[in-house]
This record gives sequence, structure tokens and C-alpha cells, in this order.
Amino acid sequence: MDERIVMVDSGTGLRLTEEQLDERSAVATVQLRRRGVRAGDTVLICLPVGPDLLVSTNAVIAAGGVVWPLPVDLDAATLRDRIQESDARVMISNVRRALEAAEESRVRIIMSVADLSAAHSYPTSR
Amino acid sequence: MTAHASHNLPVEPNRFIGRARDVSELSELVRQERVITLSGVGGIGKTRLALRVAARALPRFAGGVWLVELARVGSPALVVHELAEVLGVREESPGRLLDGLRVRLRDADALIVLDNCEHLVEHCAELVSELIAECPGVRFLLTSREPLRIRGELIWRVPPLELPDEQHPDAESVLLFVERSLAAGVRGVTERMDDVVRLCRALDGLPLALELAAARTSLLSPGSIADRLGDRFTLLTTGDRTAPGRQRTLLATMEWSHDLLTPKERVLLRRLSVFAGLFDLALAERVCADGGILRGAEVLDLLGGLVDKSLVLHQGGSGRYRLLETIRQYAADRLAEAGEVARLRDRHLLVVCEEMERCHEGGSPARRMPWPARFAHVTRGRGLLDDCRAAIDWAVRSRAPALGLRLARAALAILAVRGDLGESVGWHERLLALDVSGVPADLLAVAKGALAYGLELGDELERARELIVQGVEEQRRHPYTPWLGITYGVALTVFFRTGQSGRALRYLAELEAAATAHDDPFNLATARIARLNLALFQGQLRQARRHGEEALALAGEVDHHWARARALTHLGAVAEAAGELDAAMAHHREALPLLEGMDNRVELARCHAQAGRVAAALGDHAAASSHVATALELSRQAGQRRGIVRALMALAALGRARGDLEGAVLACAAAGALRESIGQYGTPGRVRELLAPARDRLGESRVAVLWAKGAEWSPEEAARRVLDGDGSDVSVLSGPGGGPGDAAGTAAGGTKAPGAGAELGALTAREREVAALLTRGLSNRAIAEELVISPATVARHIANIMVKLGFEARSQIAVWAAEHGTDAARP
Repeated sequence: MDERIVMVDSGTGLRLTEEQLDERSAVATVQLRRRGVRAGDTVLICLPVGPDLLVSTNAVIAAGGVVWPLPVDLDAATLRDRIQESDARVMISNVRRALEAAEESRVRIIMSVADLSAAHSYPTSR
Repeated sequence: MTAHASHNLPVEPNRFIGRARDVSELSELVRQERVITLSGVGGIGKTRLALRVAARALPRFAGGVWLVELARVGSPALVVHELAEVLGVREESPGRLLDGLRVRLRDADALIVLDNCEHLVEHCAELVSELIAECPGVRFLLTSREPLRIRGELIWRVPPLELPDEQHPDAESVLLFVERSLAAGVRGVTERMDDVVRLCRALDGLPLALELAAARTSLLSPGSIADRLGDRFTLLTTGDRTAPGRQRTLLATMEWSHDLLTPKERVLLRRLSVFAGLFDLALAERVCADGGILRGAEVLDLLGGLVDKSLVLHQGGSGRYRLLETIRQYAADRLAEAGEVARLRDRHLLVVCEEMERCHEGGSPARRMPWPARFAHVTRGRGLLDDCRAAIDWAVRSRAPALGLRLARAALAILAVRGDLGESVGWHERLLALDVSGVPADLLAVAKGALAYGLELGDELERARELIVQGVEEQRRHPYTPWLGITYGVALTVFFRTGQSGRALRYLAELEAAATAHDDPFNLATARIARLNLALFQGQLRQARRHGEEALALAGEVDHHWARARALTHLGAVAEAAGELDAAMAHHREALPLLEGMDNRVELARCHAQAGRVAAALGDHAAASSHVATALELSRQAGQRRGIVRALMALAALGRARGDLEGAVLACAAAGALRESIGQYGTPGRVRELLAPARDRLGESRVAVLWAKGAEWSPEEAARRVLDGDGSDVSVLSGPGGGPGDAAGTAAGGTKAPGAGAELGALTAREREVAALLTRGLSNRAIAEELVISPATVARHIANIMVKLGFEARSQIAVWAAEHGTDAARP
């Protein structure tokens, strides 16, 4: 596959190739499906601008969902209101304030960036 | 094979409303995830949701769905006990219960629901981590205000019920409120829907708050409830003002409902919080009434009032009552506020102790009475065990060893019938560690004997021996009770087992004299069994049989099934030694239903193993197979490795009887490895008896190879090999089939590769095209261009392919497609 660079993280300078983007998005989509995201579902994403945000957005769209982005710099009250308003069941975020704002919402599952990538590594005995 | 119930889920107390999508989604997730924690504040409906999901998941768990209620469990160490109790695992030796759980769950495909973990989070985290690591087919569904925060845990936040809005006036919360009001016999709540909507919003859609409000609609309209609650939310008097909104809403609602109670109802409610779980009217009267504020005769009416207000649940058929955990905690806080904790706990300890003593006295082995009447007392005593645990905890905390030891003594007989003394060991150890200088000497002596009894069963002979001597010597200074007889019986076993036969014989003579003088046939039977063992050991089979027959007659005289079964199994062993196989078989067959009726699984498994061995010698291979398989299954379910060893030895005998010497050696080796794992070394006579002919027939080296292989086998593998007469080559046998489903997948070495069996046909034509293009290493964008579709659509196809084939990486598709030649399938 071509090594085309599709994004550069302005903070770290890390480059994301097209292959990496496709691969990570595909895995993330599967993880979202497993957690019950279905066509038409709203999924909140509160992540800083960068590769993770791009991957998450792609994955939600590929899973048939509706992306409901939340800027990370919103104040707590606004975050809370937007989360309530979305009526989303799933949120993707590693942002502490967003996790706290989701406390009394109707969000059932909060996925971290790690949850999107990890192939499930359950402890197994055999 | 013995059929055991495959779940212990309670019947739903009333209709479950709403949460349809949550239930169906969670029913899927419990198969995929190892650990799901339903989290949220008290009263949000975690338990009801978990039970609903668990019931839905039943057909998908061959190993059963098991509810473990932890709310009543006070100390962390008891979590393991509670789980073992539910699963029927019996303590093999003190402190080794977790090993038993591992044995029980290792190959089980089971869902375990741990309800109300919040007060034991750390301990639950440890236990769950340990079990998911070792038992690949076990899944956990937990309810807890706080998540465990362990690896692999999916935290699932339970939301309140949906609130009504313009588009959805009939939201879940409204439906629940209306349903419960109707169930309470109230008509007309729907006439003022705007008030109902206002109330549901005020209550945040919290199910418990809605239930409490609905229970009041016979007196108050939804509108006025909403008004009153609105005032309260602003002036909350109890609890943490900074607590999250939902928690405050619930607290205010409970407080409101509580304040509407009559003073006497309030007193009863707070006092009911001392019960561990289910309680009946009689117990509530005795513990809660004080003759002053609350008279016994009033309790029934007051209890009915609390049930009407949804503060107490009436458990359908059993006629017993219980408090929801959230309410119980609120009530416990009120009890503390009223300064009544110590008085009520003392009272609870005393009443439970007296009740348990009544059960013990009623069914006492010293009395001649028909077994069904005796067993009714045992059953009632078993029903008190949860309260017994709570009461003993209090006895330890409040330093009341005398009452605690009386309770533990009474409970001993109840537990012994079932063959499970592990818990009793813990009770006695904790109570005897207190200052016991004020405890009557005879009670203390019985307690030492009781502790020794449990220790002996767990092979802790050294400690048992010290205690048993003190137990016997002190009791001899007091008037005879059947407890002395029982203590003697334990002493005999301990001394015979430690090779002190002189001492044993002296005690045996004393026991015979005392039991005869005080007309105690039950303990006289014990003495006869000891004589039988002695004679059997010395090869005096006729005498052994005579002692056994006397024991059986004595046991029949008191009609005690435990004693009868004991005499019968011993007679069976004597007959077997004498080569009278038909007689041996008849004795075992007679003992089996007795043991089954007492739910004494350890002895039942032992008896099946013995019967299997005898049937094999009789040439009745079908019966032998069935007995051995049952022995193995029972021991596995009870987590008894010693039982598994016995079953494997019977299996070896069966193999040998069939002329399958190789199978016999394999089973023997599997038993030997297991025996070593529990610290029993040396080669028993039966093993040597088998190995000698095997070496002659198969040759030394072949036996060595078989032994090495068998030692690595699980008991189930050995059983399959011998029982199914599967003569195929040893080396090709694979591990137990039917792995734990699709989830764990890729990484785990040895399990089937995901997608291995997947057919091309599982994919749509478009998906096959995408898969084929992936083998050429194209990006989503390039594939999109090729197929003239959007990259987003390509991404969706790829996700579909991965889900269908069970892949966890996009790159796996290309490899798979290349191997399966998707190119040929292209349209």
C-alpha cells in the first residue's frame, strides 16, 4: 500500500499514513459495533484535534452512526448540556472534564482511545 | 448424571417496564465481554436490569446463570463463601474454597451475577480477576455503585428511565409510574397526565423513587406529591448536600415516604434493617417487638402497611419478606440515628441463637423420631443461615463469645448433615479467639470439639488432635450430652488417623459405656462404625460386618439418615473386601437416595465412586460408567479434588475390568497428579495393585509413557478416554472442545483461528470485491475510486467483513482473501 501521509499531528509531529488511517479506522469500527453502536445512533466524540479524532470520526461514520463532536475546551456546564441534548448512548473520550460531565447523562458506555484500538486482550489461561 | 438446576434467579416480583434496547444490547454483551459492571446510584434499577439480562441470557449459558447477592455479606472474606454456596461448592479444607471454585468453574460456560458489590469492591475485583484468568468460559455481570476498575471490565452506566417530552408523552418513566399505581389499585392517575409528567421529571426518572411515589397515590394525587417533593428537594435535611443530583432526589423521596409513615411503622422499618436477607413474620416479631413501643401482635399489620408503601417486599410463595438494598441502608441509618443498633443486634443474635437451638433440639440425633419430621427442622435451620452469619459477625464484634458459640454449636448439626463444615471452622476460630474466660466450661469444650471436627475433615490433624483432647476431657467432667458422644466420635477418627490406636481404643470403650448408659443410639452407632473400621483394618471381615449391622440397626432405631447412610457405605466397603459384590452393591444403592435427600454432595460422590468400583468388578460396565461419571461430575461441581481423585480411581478400576489397561493407567496417573497438587504424596495400594499387571502386559516403558501422559490430563479427558472407550491414539486427543465462544479469539494460542471455518458465501458480492482489492494492498481511497463508491462506504464494507469473519485487524482480510481465492469469486 502506498505510504501516503494523510495527517501530521501538530503537537507531536507524528505522521499518520493512509494505511494506518484505514487500518485503525477499521479496527475502531468493529469495536464500536461490538459495544452496540447501530446505524443512526449518535456517538459523542470529545478528543483534541489530531489522528485519534480523525480515526474516531471515520469509525463512527463507518459504523453507520452520527458523529456528535464536542470541543474539548467547552466549559463544564455547556459540556453537560450538550451531552444531555445528544441523548447519546456511547461517548468516545479521554478528556477528564468530558467524563465528569457525562456523569448524570444517559451515556451508557464511555470508550477511551485505547478501547478503540485494542484487539481484546482478555487474560486467558490456555 | 445428576440434574442440577441451571440457575437460581428469582421470579420477578412485578412487571418489568422499559429499557428494551438496553436489555437486548446487554444480552449480547454478556456473551462477548468477560466482565460487565452495571454502575449507577442506588435506586436507579441496576439489580432489576441485571436480573432481566441474566434471565434473557439463560439459554446461552450451558453452565448456568448464578445470582450471588452480596448486600448481606458484611466482611470481604465471605464473598468467596457466598459464591461457593450458590454454586454448591463445598469447602475441601479450611481456607481453600477458592481452589474449589476454580475446579468447579474451570470448564464451565457460566454467567455469574454479583449483585451489590459496592461495599466490597476491592475484594470483588481480586476474585473476579482471578476467576476470569483461570476459567475461560465464565462471564461476570456485576451491579455496583462503583466500578471494579480491573482489566477487561466494561463499565456500563445505567441511566434513569426515559423522561416524557412533547413527542414522547408515554416515556418509560410514565409507564412505570402508571403501571405501579394501577397495580396498587388506584384508578384515575392518568386523568391528570400533565401532573404525572411533572412528577416523573421531578423524580428524575429514578425507578425506585417512582415506585415509592406510586405506592402513595391512593392517598395523594400525583400533582400534590410533585408539589411536596419539590419543596423537599430544596430543603433536604439528611445526607450529603454535595451528593450528585440523582442521589439527592432518591434520598429526598425516601425521606418523604418515610416521614409519611406512622411512628410505629418507622420503628419497625428501621429495626427490620438488621435482617440479612429474607425473614418471616415470626422472626420479625421476636426481633423487632419490644413490648413497649412495638407489641408483637402489631407487627403483622405494620408489615402489611410497609409492603403497601413499597418499602418492604413480600416474597410471593415463601411468605417471607425482604428489604430492597437501598431501602435497607436508609433504614439502617435511621436505626443508628435512633441509637438502637447495639440493642437490636444483641436481640437479633439472641433470637437467631434460640431459633437455631430450637431447630437443633427439634431434630436432635438423641431423639427417636421419623426422619421427615427431623429433616423439617434441618430445613428450617438452613433457612436461618444468612441471619446466622450476620449474628455471628455481631457476636465477634460485640465480644459476646458465649452466645456466638451457642449459635455455632446449634448450627453445626445443620451443616454436618450436608457434609460442609468449612464455614463452621471459621466461626469457631473467630469466636474462640475472643476472651472466653466467661464462657461456661462445657460450652467451650463442645466448641473445641466442633472446631476439631471441621479441622479433621480438612486434614488438619495436628491442630485437631490438641483441641479434641481438651474437648473430651472437659466434657467428661459434666453430665453426659450427645455432644460428648459426637466429640468422642471425632476423637476416634483423629487418633486412628494419626496412628494412636491405643488412645483411640480407650476412648472407644468410654464412648460405648457412656452412650449405652445414657441411651444414645446415634452415638453408639458411631462407636460401632469405629469398631467396624478397626476390624476391617485387621482383616476380620465377619466381625466388621457384625459391627456394621449393629450400627445400621441403631441408626434405624433413631431413624437418622446421616447415620444410616454412614453404616450402609461402611457395610458396602466390608462386603466388597469380602468379595460379596452383590451385597456391596445393594448397600451402596440403599445409601445413595439417603445422601441425595440430605444434599450431602461430598458423601454422595464418594458413594457413587464406591458403587462404580463395585459395579465394574461385577462386570456391569454400564452401571459402573454411570456411577463413575456421576461421582466425577458431583465432585467437580462441589469443587472437591479429593472426590475427583476417588472418582478417577474408580475409573481406573473400570478400565481394568474392561481389559483396557492403558485407560486404567492413564486414569490412575491423572489421579496421582491431582493428588500431588493437593499435597498428598505416596502411592496408595490400589495404584500399586494396578501398575503391577500393567507392567507385565504392556511393558515397563509403555506404562511409563502412559503415566507421563495421563499425569498431564484433566480429569475430564481421562474420563472421556475410559468411559467412551475411545481407543484412539493418546497423542491426538485434543483439549476439551466447545471453547468459550468467539470473543477471546486471535491472540490465544491453540484456540481455533477466527474465521478459519468462514466461507466465502458469508460475504456479499460487494464485500467479496472489496476483500479481493485488499489483497492488492489498496487503501480505502483507492478501493473507493476503483469501485466508484465513497471511502466511507468502503470503510463500512470493511467493518462488515471483519465482523462476519471475526477479525480484529483490517490486514487479516487480505491474508484470508488470498487463501480463499476471492478473485475466482469475483463477478
